[in-house]
Order: sequence, then structure tokens, then C-alpha cells
Amino acid sequence: MSQTAVIHEQQAVPQPKQHGKPGGFLAQANIFTGLIGGVVTAGVTYFIGDKLVPWGTQNADFSQVGLNALVFCTFVAWVIGFMVGIGAFAGPIRWALGHDLTHDDAEYMAGKGQGRMKYWKYTTDHKVVGIQYLVMALVLFGFGGFFAMLIRTELGVTWREVFDPNFYNSLIGTHGIVMIIAMIIVVAGPLGNFIMPLMIGARDMAFPRLNALSFWLLFAAVPPLVLNLVLGGMRDGWTAYQPLGTQAPIGMIGYQVCIITFAFSTGIAGVNLITTIVTMRARGMTWARTPIFIIGTLAAAIMGLIWFPMFQYAQLLAASDKVIGTSFYIPQNGGSVWLYENLFWLLGHPEVYVIVVPATAGILELMVVFLRKPLFSYKMAVAGFAGVVGISAVVWVHHMYMTGFAPQAGYPFMLSTELISIPFGFLVLVMLGTMWRGKAWNRLPMMIVYAVIFDKIIGGITGVYLSDVPVDQYMHGSMFVVAHFHYMLMGAGLFGAMAVIVYWFPKMTGRMFDERIGKIGFWTAFLAFQVTFLSMFVAGLQGMPRRVLQFDNAFEISNWISTIGAYFIGIGMLIFLYAVITSWRNGKVAPSNPWGSKTLEWQTQTPVPLENFPVLPVVTSDPYGYGVPDPYLKVEEQLDKDDNETVGAR
Amino acid sequence: MSIETPVDQPESPTNRPDSTHRMKEWFSRDYVRKIIAIFIVLTIIIIPIAWLVIHFLELSGGPASSIMEELETTIFVFTLVSAPLMAITAAVLVYSLFGWGSIKSEEPPMQENPAIRTNAVAVIGWTVATSLLAAFLVIWGLVELATITADSYGSTPSSQQPNATKPIDVNVTGQQWVWTFEYPDQQKIQSNVLVVPINTPIYFNVTSKDVIHSFWVVEMGVKIDANPGAVTNTGFTANKLGTFNIRCAELCGLHHAYMETNVQVVTQDQFDSWVREQGGKRTV
Ligand code: HEM
Ligand SMILES: [Cu+2]
Ligand SMILES: [Cu+2]
Repeated sequence: MSQTAVIHEQQAVPQPKQHGKPGGFLAQANIFTGLIGGVVTAGVTYFIGDKLVPWGTQNADFSQVGLNALVFCTFVAWVIGFMVGIGAFAGPIRWALGHDLTHDDAEYMAGKGQGRMKYWKYTTDHKVVGIQYLVMALVLFGFGGFFAMLIRTELGVTWREVFDPNFYNSLIGTHGIVMIIAMIIVVAGPLGNFIMPLMIGARDMAFPRLNALSFWLLFAAVPPLVLNLVLGGMRDGWTAYQPLGTQAPIGMIGYQVCIITFAFSTGIAGVNLITTIVTMRARGMTWARTPIFIIGTLAAAIMGLIWFPMFQYAQLLAASDKVIGTSFYIPQNGGSVWLYENLFWLLGHPEVYVIVVPATAGILELMVVFLRKPLFSYKMAVAGFAGVVGISAVVWVHHMYMTGFAPQAGYPFMLSTELISIPFGFLVLVMLGTMWRGKAWNRLPMMIVYAVIFDKIIGGITGVYLSDVPVDQYMHGSMFVVAHFHYMLMGAGLFGAMAVIVYWFPKMTGRMFDERIGKIGFWTAFLAFQVTFLSMFVAGLQGMPRRVLQFDNAFEISNWISTIGAYFIGIGMLIFLYAVITSWRNGKVAPSNPWGSKTLEWQTQTPVPLENFPVLPVVTSDPYGYGVPDPYLKVEEQLDKDDNETVGAR
Repeated sequence: MSIETPVDQPESPTNRPDSTHRMKEWFSRDYVRKIIAIFIVLTIIIIPIAWLVIHFLELSGGPASSIMEELETTIFVFTLVSAPLMAITAAVLVYSLFGWGSIKSEEPPMQENPAIRTNAVAVIGWTVATSLLAAFLVIWGLVELATITADSYGSTPSSQQPNATKPIDVNVTGQQWVWTFEYPDQQKIQSNVLVVPINTPIYFNVTSKDVIHSFWVVEMGVKIDANPGAVTNTGFTANKLGTFNIRCAELCGLHHAYMETNVQVVTQDQFDSWVREQGGKRTV
């Protein structure tokens, strides 16, 4: 036994001097000053650029490039102006001037004593950022869902073009990328920020100011994207393949600036999540005692951090083609369209896992609670996530089987793509094992889990077809693919996200979720989802290409069915949204641990105090110590077990 | 854990029921039998999906080439081999809801569920099963890919020997929003409809004048992107007379939806006279 005999004398840490009221400039800055800053900066940039700089005077051909450059600068100015206006740079500037933030300033920035206003400000508290992310994701789903309804309307009206083709193509792309962004943030944003630090017993994220930065960069990234619809559109799918993108109107630049900014946001968020998880877990929370949701979040953050830069480079080069006339992707001048496709899919595929992995991990976490059983084979779940992260790096070419850029590449990439089903299989076994012989508590989140697994079965079997090069030779670029990825992204990803949000809703909002209305909404959406996308499989099998606005008569019936289904998804989702809003505003006040869960976030009070825990918790076992010893187990097996595992003592 | 045990001989082999006995005991459990029953029923339900899929594939008149036939076989085989995995997942789902009674449990379960933390047999068995399945899919896929590649390049798939008939080259050019077919060996006649003789390998050199298109001959099961600045290749041997669809499968701008045409599979005589009508003559 070692003893600490020397007691260090308390030394006064030199504190920066307080300059005026806490907060300084930050007390004035909020989203409105941000908007003003952004719009004014953008306006001034446009005006000066338009009037003073002789864009394209050297060369008559240069005029379009000139306009593109002007629009690009304007959008970038919007982002910078917005960030300045909201006070993102106040901290660094004061630090550079030698007036670092005082403790009071830091607390002010964390939202102390600001009431509701803190949600509209550059607030560093992870709980505030979590709520901001949640609301942002809901808003994006609103946009994306509305666009989906417009797309389906066009496809349901089979006798004429409702929309101008340019607008329709932009609509498809905007729907796609808005939904992708929303799905990327919907779990890792609200829950990764709000719940994760609580779950690991930390007082905050590792870098609170980066936390605010990542959210507001995301916020600033969205307007250029959505504005594309009024700036001539982006005309391309969410993949923004070149050189079609080079032909597109200036709306395309909105997409590019959005992605470039969003990639900064995810990079910063990724660093923050990873550092927090690796360094800030409570005393005693060894890796083996870390809840599986944390592992899943870590896996997703790692993939995002590594692969998002690829997407960013792809768009930087594309913007440079448009703005300064380079020709990375223009074959006539020596560029290559395959360069774009490779860069794009290097992120494009891992991104699907960035979406699905946190949702899956969250589902595992809540299954444990609703089944009151330990997670089945924690190690296998970890191996599953690790395997997905590893193999995700080498599967991107399965999106490019038909590009012809390397016909021989079909062989190795078919191999890797089919191998990744093994780690995913691990996760399926973990789910089945956790369900095995357990009686689950019939509450909405758990029921959604059953629905999600059902969707995964359909997404899985159709994915098996698509991973095969010869079959993909038929399916690629058809509605079959669209139906398949909606099963994964929406059926497994979005519904999974709904399950985990309902589960953590009481902790985040302090209110119980209205499950009666939520149930009606969810099951309506779920059934309508099956109708919509099962019939979309049929259209795809019959040979309907995707991203079309008119088609052969042969596909009419399945498209009518799909459109009707889609409207019902819309209705179901609106009902669900209604449940979210009403429960948030005046739901029953939630106790601190309504589900009787063992993870740390439920052990602190609701609403969560600014410092999260009065006393930092010390962890002595993993949070899965539920259930009774298995009566079927033979005595000696029980003994082996006791040696190997400490069953939860908490 | 205070369970009475003969501590002096915990590993004693005589104390441990042998594995066949334990397996028998396991299979005799009520829930195991029911899950197996559900599993079998579900497998039988899932397999017909393959026929359904193939039925929809064939609605527009295919298969019209051996590649498409190959592809349909694959869909059938893949459904067959992955059905058990899908079915076991679904069976546990169903049994969890109705057998173990999740659907009716309104109250939070007390601590009565068994604390199963892992199970070596399940873990190893599952890993082996999924790996074998994946290995099968990979091997099947690789062999099949080699076969259809040979097929599209005009060889006889099984022997890899060049086909007896000399392939006809066709240069395909995608351009917003039309397809142009040029027959270099037939005095460069050009057409917007693809006309090919039956049972003759056709070999395509595909390119584009502007953006990326994708050349999809639907009922032949053949697709390849048409890229600006590069030539890609594919091919097929039609084995069914008739008119089939060619569509563009890559978003290529405003009128992508309308970028479609036909392939007419005709007899050799009809093909020759078509070539003559177009002002060319068959040089082979
Ligand atoms: C109300 C539910 C939804 C409906 C009815 C719907 C419908 C559609 C339709 C009709 C298309 C265009 C297909 C085409 O012609 O290529 C599409 C594309 C797409 N959707 Fe959805 N969608 C829904 C929700 C979602 C969700 C939740 C996601 C989540 C990520 C998503 C992601 C995408 C993506 C990535 C594309 C591809 C866009 C592209 O081709 O560039 N959708 N959706
Ligand atoms: Cu085209
Ligand atoms: Cu096209």
C-alpha cells in the first residue's frame, strides 16, 4: 500500500483579469448578429466584387468563371461573416490580445444564467449544443421530407412534367444531400454531444469551444445548399458527378461551399468526440466497462474524421474547376471524371456507416435496458464495430463497378464488400443474443427496434444482390438501388435514430415522450414506408432508371403506389413530430431515471445541472449487470463465469 | 456465488454431461423447438422471393442473353443461401415478440431475465456460418464475374475460346441526350437504334461526347458507363429475337429521362439487308 504523505500546498493560480462584465462581446452576440454579419459581409463582398474587380476582362470566355468566382466568394463571405457575427472568433482574438477568457467568461459562454437565450448563442455547454443539433436535424428532415414529397408528386403524375427538369434534378440532389447531412448529425450530434459525456461521467466535452464551433459551422453551411434551388439549381444528384456539375448553374456552388464547410464541422466534431471518449471517461471506466453506444460513436467519429476530407477535396477541386478554370475533372483539358468519382466515394461509402453505426449502437444500448438483460457478447459487438471501421476503407469501388475505370477492380472489391457482411453479422448476433429468452418491456423505443431489425432483413438481402458485380450490372443506377438504400438509411438509420431519441428524450428535455401519439405516427410511417419502397423495388426490377421524371408506362402502377405510400409516410412523420413538439413543451415531467437504466447519464438528476454531476462518479463494473443467473446453466459453467466476469455491482 | 459444488473436482470429466447429451437437452427445450419451427416456415416463405424477383425482372421480355440468364441464376442462388440467415433473425424476432411475450409486457421486466453474457457455441457457430456464407457468395461471384466477362468479350464462357462467329464491333456514343451507334466494319453506317443479329457476339466501344452517361441494355443485363475522354467496353450475344430497351442509367442532365432507345435483335439475313439499306455492306 502506497500512501501519499506529502500534501501539496494550495497555490493561487494566476487568473486573467476580468474586463468588464462577463462575456464581453459575447454578451451581445447571438444568432441574429450572426445572420446580420453573414448577410452584410456577403452583400458587401458581392458588391465590391461585382463593381471593383474586373472579373473576366482578360478573356471573353472568362465571364462565366468570373460569375462563379463571385458567387463562391459571396458564399464563403457569408460563412465567415456569420461566424464572426455570432462571436466564434471572440475567444481566439482575446486570447491573441492577451486578455484570455476568465472563469466567469467561460461560465457565461457555457450558458450560465442566460435562460432560453443560450440556445440562440455560441454556447459551449455540451447539453445546449446537443439540443441545437437535435433541432437542426429536425429542421433538415423537414426540408428533406418536403422535397421527397415533391419528387414523389412528380413521379406519381405520370402524364406530364410537373416541374421543370432542371428544378426536378436539383430537387433530387438537394433531397439527397439534405437527408444525408441530417442523418449524419441526427445521432452523433444530439446524443454524441448531450448524452455521451454524461454516459462516460464527464463534466463536459474535451473542447467545449470546438463543440460550439462545429455546430455553428454546420448551421452556416446549410443556407448556401438550400439556396441553390433559387439560384438555378444544382442539376445533379447528391453525388454531383463531374463534368455535369461543371455545366450546372451557380446553384452548384452553394452545394460545394456547403460540403466544404460541413466537412470542417464534422472534422472538428470528430476530433472532439474522439478526444472526449478516449481521455475523459470516469475513473474506473475501463474500455471493457465502456457502454457500447460510446464505442459506436467512437467508431463513427473515426470514420468521419478519416474520410470526410476526401469529400472536401473532391468539392474543392470541383469548385476550383468552376471558379478559377482548372480542369481536374474536365477530360477535354486532360482531367478525369474517374478522379472525382473515386474521391467522392472514398467518403461516400464510409459515410453510410457513419450514419448506420451510431444508430445501431444506440439500439443495442436501449435493448439492454428494455430487456433487462446484459448485452450479449460485448466483445463481439466491439469486434463488429472495429471490423466495419477497418473494412469500410476498402469498399468504395462497389459504387463504381460500372464506371469502367478498372474492370479488374470488380474482383477485389466484390470480395471486400461481401466480407463486410461478417462484422455486420456480428452485430446481428449481438442483437439476437440479447433478445434470446428475454421478455422485453413493451415501450415505443423497443418496438421501434423490432421494426428496425425487420427493415435490416430486407435491406440486407437486397444488399447481397447488389454487392455482386454481375447482378449490379443490371441493378446499378436503377430504382432498385434507391429502394435498397432507403431501407438502410431510412428503415434502419432514421427509424433507429427515432428509437434512440425517444429513449433519451426524458433526459434531454426533462419531459416524458407522448408514446400514444408517437406510436400512431411511427406505425403509420413504418407501414407506409413498406408500401412505398417495396413497390419501388418492383419498378427497379422492371428496369426503371433512377433520377428520371418521366418513364415507360410499364412502371406507372408501382410509381402510383409508391407515391401514395410516400404521402402516408409524410403524414406519419408529421404526427410523430407533433408528438415530439407537444411532449417537449408540456409533456409529463420526467423522473431522473424513468427506464431504470444503469448507465451513468440516468444517475444524475433531470434537468442535468451545468456541471453534470455533483461528484464525479467512479465506475466499478460495466452497466449491463441485469438479469438473474441462468437457471439452465450447469453448476460448473456458472463457476467458470464467476471467474471471468464481475457481474454488475452497481 | 453460493452454489453447492464439489469444489475438489470442478473440472472432473465424470461430472460434466457429455456434449451430445447437452445438445439433446438443448433441442428438447420448448422454445428452441418453436423457434426452429418458425425458422423453417420463414425460410420457406423467403425463398419464393427469388421467383418473384425474377418474375419482375422478366416482365419486360427478357432474358435475351446468356449474361441475363446467368444473372437470374445468381439472384436465385443468393436468395437461397441467405434465406436461412434472414429467417433465423426473423424467427428470433417473432419469438421474442410473441413467444417470450414482449408484445404483452406492459410493466418493466423485473430482474427475471437470464443474465446470458455470452455463449461460446453461439459466437463461434455464428461466425463460422456467416463466414462460410460470405465465402460462398464471394467465390460464386468471382467465378460468375469471370464467366460473364468472357461472355461479353465474345468468348464462349466455358472454354474461354473465342466464339466461332467473329464479333461485330459497335461504337456507342452517348451525347446529351441521344445514343449513336456506329458500325465500323459495316462501312461506318450510323444509327440511333441498335440492330444486332441473333447469336452473334457484339462488342461495344462506349464513349461520350459531353458528360457521363451509362449504356444500359436492359434485357441483356449489360451496363457500362459512357465517359467523356475514355472508351469502355462491354458486349453480349443476344439469344432471343425481339425489340428490347436501352436506357441511360446515369443522370446526365435535363433530359436524362428521355435518353432511351431500342435494340432490335434480328436474324442474320434481316441484319444483312438492314445494313444494305443503311448504305453499308457486311464485310465479313
Ligand atoms: C419520406 C421519405 C422519403 C421518400 C418518399 C424518399 C423518396 C426519394 C426519391 C423518390 C428519391 C429519388 C429517386 C431517384 O429518382 O433517383 C430519393 C432519393 C434519395 N433519398 Fe430519399 N426519400 C425519403 C427519405 C429519405 C431519407 C430519410 C434519406 C436518408 C438519408 C434519403 C436519402 C436519399 C438519397 C441519398 C437519395 C439519392 C439522391 C440522388 O439520387 O442523388 N431519403 N428519395
Ligand atoms: Cu445519358
Ligand atoms: Cu442519363
